[in-house]
Amino acid sequence: MEFTISEKKGVVVISPQGKIMGGPDATELHDKLRNLISQNKKRIVIDLSKVDWMNSTGLGILISALTTIRNNQGELKLANVTEKIEKLLEITRLLTVFERFDSLEKAIESFK
Amino acid sequence: MGKIVKGKNKISVPSSLDYLRDVDEFVEGKLKKLGLDQSQLADVAISVTEAVTNAIVHGNKNDRGKKVKIDLKIEKLKIVITVEDQGDGFDPESLSSPVEGENILKKVGRGVFILKSLMDKVNFIFQPEGGTIVKMVKYLKK
Repeated sequence: MEFTISEKKGVVVISPQGKIMGGPDATELHDKLRNLISQNKKRIVIDLSKVDWMNSTGLGILISALTTIRNNQGELKLANVTEKIEKLLEITRLLTVFERFDSLEKAIESFK
Repeated sequence: MGKIVKGKNKISVPSSLDYLRDVDEFVEGKLKKLGLDQSQLADVAISVTEAVTNAIVHGNKNDRGKKVKIDLKIEKLKIVITVEDQGDGFDPESLSSPVEGENILKKVGRGVFILKSLMDKVNFIFQPEGGTIVKMVKYLKK
């Protein structure tokens, strides 16, 4: 999984690309989050607009990210959840666990 | 140390998640030629990664000396995919539901549930001489 990280209005935006299926790069996001938390950056949006699909490993990565951020008194929100990922969140009953926004701007604004 | 072996509609890989992307690229390459819509293609591709991940991690216990074999049978109205490991098998009935109680927030344990949700038929075949075959069927939308 490749991802880019940027910062907008004090919110860290993580943008993964391609398919999130696990493998050797599965722990990279978690390491990055730990790094951000250590810098006291705890307002995070994961922008899923460039993610083709994810499997259960991908869902595990999202849950792990959410739990890690919440345990450190931060917030993690999702933006641009594609139809395919929304279906996966629905069948696994994770839809209500994540706060979701249909644009990156709305997700960022929600932190105010 | 093993290596990737490819046939016309089959591929086998050593038991390491390092090879998961190779399997996905091979399978999606075959599926794209069938003209499947994106949604169906993703359902099958996701399911294959679930079955292969389980075969590598739980079946073959990440032993690179053991192989995971993936075989695609493309028919007029359906795709049949088998994923075979060399492990000791498991009891599908013993898997706890990932959509109940505290399990919902667990990081792992959804693979079989997801592939059963996305494919039209899923069977587990436990071979007497050892090894498990996951047989998955997806009917093609016309």
